[in-house]
Amino acid sequence: MATLATPIPPAAPLHAEAPPSYADTTRDIIATLRPPGRKYYVGMAFVLVGLAFGAFCWGYQLRYGLGVTGYQPPIFWGTYITTFVFWVGIAHSGTLISAILYLFRSGWRTAVYRTAEAMTVFAVMTAGLFPILHLGRAWYAYWVFPYPNFRGVWSNFRSPLVWDVFAISTYLTVSATFLLMGLIPDVAAVRDRSLGWRQRLYSMVSFGWKGSDREWHHFGRMYLYLAGFATPLVLSVHSVVSWDFAMAIVPGWHATIFAPYFVAGAIFSGCGMVITILVPLRKAFHLERYVQVRHFESLAKVILLTASIVAYAYATEYFIAWYSGNPFERSSFYNRAFGQYWWATWIMLTCNAFIPQLLWFKKIRTSIPTLFVISIFINIGMWFERFVIIVTGLSHEYEPWQWSYYVPRWPELGILVGSFCWFSMWFLLFIKFFPAVAISEIKESLPPPVQAGGRR
Amino acid sequence: MERRRFLQVAGVAGIGVAAGCAPTSGERLLPYVNESDDLIPGIPEFYASTCRECPAGCGIQVKTREARAIKVEGNPAHPVGHGRVCARGQAALQGLYDPDRVKQPWRRTARGLEPVTWDRAIEQIATALGAAAASGADRVALVTGADSGALDAFYDEWLAAFRSHRRLRYEAFAYEPLREASRLTFGVAAVPEFDFASARYVLSFGADFLETWLSPVEYTRQFAEAHRYHDGRMAKFVAVEPRRGLTAYSADEWIAPKPGTEGLLALGIASSVVRQGKADLTGAEADRVRGFCARFTARGVAETTGVAEDVIDRVAREFAAARPSLAVAGGVATQHRAATQAAAAVNLLNYVVGNVGRTVRYHAASPWEKVSRYRDATAWIAAMQAGAVDVALVHRTNPAFTLPKAAGFADAFRKVHLTVALASHLDETAELCDLILPDVTPLEEWSVVEPAAGVRSFVQPAMTPVFDGTRQAADALLAIAAKAGKTVGRGAATARELVAAGMVPTALDHALQHGGEFAAAPVKPVRLVPDFARVVYRAPAFDGDAGGEALVLIAYPSAALFDGRGANKGWLQELPDVATKIAWQSWVEVHPDTALRLRVANGDLVTVTSPHGRVEAPVYVYPGVRPDVVAMPIGQGHTAYGRNAKHRGVNPLDLLGADAVDASGALAFCSTRVTLAKTGRQTRLATTEGSARQLGRGIARAVSLAGALKGEVEAGPEATLTDAERAAVAAAAASQRERANIGVYAKPNPKWELTIDLSRCTGCQACVTACYAENNLPVVGEEQTLRHRGMAWIRLERYYEGDTAGTDWQVRQIPMLCQQCENAPCEPVCPVYAAYHTPDGLNGQIYNRCIGTRYCAANCPYKVRYFNWWDYGTVGDPYFAFVEPLNWQLNPDVTVRTKGVMEKCTFCVQRIRFAQTDAKVRKRELADGDITPACAQTCPAEAIVFGDAHDPSSLVSRLKQDARGYHALGMLNTKPGVTYLERVITQGEA
Amino acid sequence: MSAATGVVGVFGGVDAAVAAIESLKARGYANYRVYSPTPRPELAEALARKESPVRLFTLFGALTGTAFGFFYAIATSLDWPLVTGGKPIVSWPPFVVIGFETTILIGALATVAGMFLFAGLPKLGRAPGYDPRFSDDKFGVVAFGGPAQLAEAREIFAASGAEEVKDV
Repeated sequence: MATLATPIPPAAPLHAEAPPSYADTTRDIIATLRPPGRKYYVGMAFVLVGLAFGAFCWGYQLRYGLGVTGYQPPIFWGTYITTFVFWVGIAHSGTLISAILYLFRSGWRTAVYRTAEAMTVFAVMTAGLFPILHLGRAWYAYWVFPYPNFRGVWSNFRSPLVWDVFAISTYLTVSATFLLMGLIPDVAAVRDRSLGWRQRLYSMVSFGWKGSDREWHHFGRMYLYLAGFATPLVLSVHSVVSWDFAMAIVPGWHATIFAPYFVAGAIFSGCGMVITILVPLRKAFHLERYVQVRHFESLAKVILLTASIVAYAYATEYFIAWYSGNPFERSSFYNRAFGQYWWATWIMLTCNAFIPQLLWFKKIRTSIPTLFVISIFINIGMWFERFVIIVTGLSHEYEPWQWSYYVPRWPELGILVGSFCWFSMWFLLFIKFFPAVAISEIKESLPPPVQAGGRR
Repeated sequence: MERRRFLQVAGVAGIGVAAGCAPTSGERLLPYVNESDDLIPGIPEFYASTCRECPAGCGIQVKTREARAIKVEGNPAHPVGHGRVCARGQAALQGLYDPDRVKQPWRRTARGLEPVTWDRAIEQIATALGAAAASGADRVALVTGADSGALDAFYDEWLAAFRSHRRLRYEAFAYEPLREASRLTFGVAAVPEFDFASARYVLSFGADFLETWLSPVEYTRQFAEAHRYHDGRMAKFVAVEPRRGLTAYSADEWIAPKPGTEGLLALGIASSVVRQGKADLTGAEADRVRGFCARFTARGVAETTGVAEDVIDRVAREFAAARPSLAVAGGVATQHRAATQAAAAVNLLNYVVGNVGRTVRYHAASPWEKVSRYRDATAWIAAMQAGAVDVALVHRTNPAFTLPKAAGFADAFRKVHLTVALASHLDETAELCDLILPDVTPLEEWSVVEPAAGVRSFVQPAMTPVFDGTRQAADALLAIAAKAGKTVGRGAATARELVAAGMVPTALDHALQHGGEFAAAPVKPVRLVPDFARVVYRAPAFDGDAGGEALVLIAYPSAALFDGRGANKGWLQELPDVATKIAWQSWVEVHPDTALRLRVANGDLVTVTSPHGRVEAPVYVYPGVRPDVVAMPIGQGHTAYGRNAKHRGVNPLDLLGADAVDASGALAFCSTRVTLAKTGRQTRLATTEGSARQLGRGIARAVSLAGALKGEVEAGPEATLTDAERAAVAAAAASQRERANIGVYAKPNPKWELTIDLSRCTGCQACVTACYAENNLPVVGEEQTLRHRGMAWIRLERYYEGDTAGTDWQVRQIPMLCQQCENAPCEPVCPVYAAYHTPDGLNGQIYNRCIGTRYCAANCPYKVRYFNWWDYGTVGDPYFAFVEPLNWQLNPDVTVRTKGVMEKCTFCVQRIRFAQTDAKVRKRELADGDITPACAQTCPAEAIVFGDAHDPSSLVSRLKQDARGYHALGMLNTKPGVTYLERVITQGEA
Repeated sequence: MSAATGVVGVFGGVDAAVAAIESLKARGYANYRVYSPTPRPELAEALARKESPVRLFTLFGALTGTAFGFFYAIATSLDWPLVTGGKPIVSWPPFVVIGFETTILIGALATVAGMFLFAGLPKLGRAPGYDPRFSDDKFGVVAFGGPAQLAEAREIFAASGAEEVKDV
């Protein structure tokens, strides 16, 4: 959206030959909202089945207790927390691309930010489930909120978990607001091109937006400030999540590097997921004119950067463990690389540190299929990063008598699958109800229509 | 009736919830119809009695609440145990409340067991007895366990009434060799009384006196007294046995001779003493001994036993120098074909250095002299086989399980016309019987026993019988006699009257209040018989050929299950084996070298084959056995005996030959060679062991005696911190604490702390079971134990130190429980304050606040928080752990935790609060020692001390000042409230 | 001549719209409104509006958030002091996290509220002179005033190259 400050310059003409006109933009993008075909419904059915299975697994777990999972003391945290951190991480690039790049005025953002933002909101909605799924008594999850209650006890604000509660709920609220605000002018455009209940719905959602100068004026400011808020929020949220571990004394967790390390990892995984989502989306909706190869290349560059930061963080962890001379840290990290969980560690290193290095080559950066494959590896690698930190950390702690080994059981895996389906369900609904590419912003970055001759 | 009674109680005391009654169960809470005078709801009552879980007969006090027995504690006034109880004693309650108990009389028919009324059963028996008595003498057999006192006499009288003397007091471990050896060496067929407390040097030939041998609780207490480090001195303990068990874990030195050569080694040491001129003998006796000993040259002994000459001489020197010393023979050393000779050799050794009469004392009477020998049991079997027995009654003993299959008990028993079991549990023997009469358990009966010379120890019911249908055996026998028209019991109509016979009421009351009548028995002086030389060492034979892969099998009594009678109790099944830390299972201990040779690893299923049979069990690779030996625990492998015992593990006795007896007529448990064959199949061992090495983390520490004398201690990782760093850390913590002291925290509060003296702790794990009983811990079963989900709030960690290749390695054991840290990592991470710090220094855990994030457990460096993975506390749940009537045992003062909450040790906070309230009510100050957590109360070694660390005069405050005091993982600055005192190990010369 | 309250000019090009606005301003028009499918800097310059007061909402929202976060954490901790891990009852470092998050939350929501207030949203009714094409590719300028002014406006729009001029 616009600011009254210096306008966003189109980094380069959207593409070589004739750019789409305002009219083309409106038409092409709103075309994505056409009634879906069979493929869509098949996909949706698949997703709903997966979700139902996940729900069943949770019900089973609630009935009999967490014993149905693979938890094996002292490994008290496992797949659920791993997946929680994974989804929070996914959530981050959305806001990054949207807000930070907005503040930096980088032009390539326009094409991808709406998808990224939607992904953020749905990823947070998914992540938010896991701390609850993980609880021994999920039905009392609301006790973590500091509300006046008959028990007379408030939340313990010294607990990183309460920080989580605040950070995640704030993040969900703000990123959802950010998405909705950005949607207003586009929804207005859709409203003006639809009839019946859809029109009524969209005029509601657009709050009767008319695009008057006055509206644009305040809107632009609001959007700027939201972006200003969202940026530090992103950094804080994943820092807080990382402190769930860094604040503990578990060897392999208790490290000051965690906040930046996790933030970089989050952006890394998030950009990976954006590519994973955008590639099929672009294909399905024929948005090649708007979401272009150079946008993917820019994403790839961010991935390359963050992958290198993450790789550096891994190296630092090992160095510190060795350099500190702390026998527990050393033992923990040795076990991480060569102990019973070596496989997880090496999956992580391969996917996150080595494979992304391919992106140094422009050929690979600009090949959509290759990028897609790499992005899948990144998703896998980043899930395992969290698994390695959490599980190997706990499996090999201070008390040698209590060393143990954990592998997830089917209810956990069922819920893991279910979470992906839950995420996909929202996304599938979103792309059929709202423009997945920002109409007005594309227009903003296009050369405006001018009248030959002007005044006669 | 019991049910209603229970509900009345529940109504008054409001223990409904604690007893696991879900509101949905629709039960109503009723008030008393008639008030009971001596029952104050909420106030426990204690009944002094005697533990009958093994023949040792420790004095106990049964804690009852609202007419329910809920806890077994030691009776401090009792000379046996001195107020301490072992794990098996604690678990007596689970025998009492076992859901699989015999609740009514049963009769065996072609269609299986059918219910029958008491009257019909008694009539049938009386008739059979009449017929038997009519058809001749000794046609009736009455078999009990080791018994003594009034009821024992009554049984004989009762039997005589039916013209029979076939009385068997059958025990699997009857110490025949000790009795026979004493007869052969000193002319007294008795088991002497051993005085570990005053011994300055203990030399044990295989005796597991800290586990099952004779009187383990009392001996543990005495041994700890002697072996603990105090004001610069401690006794040295050398263990001589081919398999290193828990007892030998406490040893300063482990000598592993070839199995069966222990006796020769004892003679070798005695000879060495004599050679060194250290013998405490005079005159002709000295010459005789010298002459006898001349036969055993150090070299010859060394070759046969596999123990180096210099070791023999050194041990002899030390043994003779440290007066009084004590040598004991037991366990595997007295369970081979040369057992009697070994025991005699040890007697001689004691005699040579003048221990007899000092640390080895004989009395006029011995509790063991009347106990039957294995040979008597086989004779009885032969008689039955020959059809010489018409009626056989079996009471509280299980020969069908504890006799080797080869003995052919079952077949012979079936030949008896009428077999009757007076049994509280349906064990293997009861299952063979034609009639099963429901007996009460020792906690519901009247009796009096003589566990030690001069001790008349009373057994009284702690509560009305759990099941209406049950009747004490003696009462049943009285009824049977009456029905058969015999007058027995000298007019006594009940077991109670039999016990009280000949006592004035005041004396009886006094005895019941104090647990019995205890008098010092005069020591009976004994001399070496002139012809002791008859008993000369002869190498024992082992069945099976020596060649090839043959390994000598050691079948040893399990410390938890004893001879198998513990196997029906969940607490004992779940108690990890004291040495191998395996629960719920059977296993074969194989030396690492042997395992390498046989290419077997932990969990590999192997068939163990002897000339007499074969069993299949998983391998446990264990450095504590000689490479030429494999060991298996006795106690598992039941084919009956309740849900916990049935079809679990294997019984190594199936591998033994029935005729493997020694000179005393004892069964030789270590008498056969076996071969191991891989099945190719695997199983997971239900072990609590993570890593067997503590990798220099200083969790369980020890220092050499020499070092301790110099004030040295074993340093842990925290030693790397500089003083400046320590000061800085301390200062930071202090300033933080400062800002935490507001409200109730600012008041002058006590600070509850614990000290555990590792130089006393033997690792017996009595504390673990005591904790189960006190804190309503659920039994989780084998499957969950396999997944490390045991709920024991206190556990014994066992680490090896040193190179386990030879015998020169040490075992470090440490009881690990919540350390109640001042800077507890578990507390600040809890989002809902379920974990918080109480003003009196405990890590409070509020179960009903907990939502189960498990962050506290993840952040606890000691890993002493336990999570309810399943719903152990809710009636009707598939995982409900307190099946009726086990829930009767639940401690009303402790919540039963439900699904999804974290739980942990809080130093028995319910006891702290009770004592505080009690003191307030009595308007007096709380004194040091008023509060004792369950673990400390039962600890036979008295290693655990609890108290207020803010009171400088309290014992705990003084103990934690000890130079040996340290904090586990102290470098984490968690400031634990548990101070461990380093173990002290005597190395080299004592 | 109907009683029109305003006249709207529909422009196909932003330059034409700008021209129209300039001439309106030149004639001293104050009461006019511009519709555009996307914010254009050209238009913004032509209109030259003064700084939006939304930022004040942002500021005060943020400050309120900070204050609330710290107050809540401290007050509830003191309400029932429970010591955990020997840490101070009022532990600043962790409370900073709470304060920070509430700052962002309340700040952001206040900003949105401010926008709605000043932009006059939600406005579900019809807007004078609005035409669906303005959300597609047309620009609209609406001038309000008396008949005389409206007549003048019509000329201006036509002159600026409006594709269509109509009364509202």
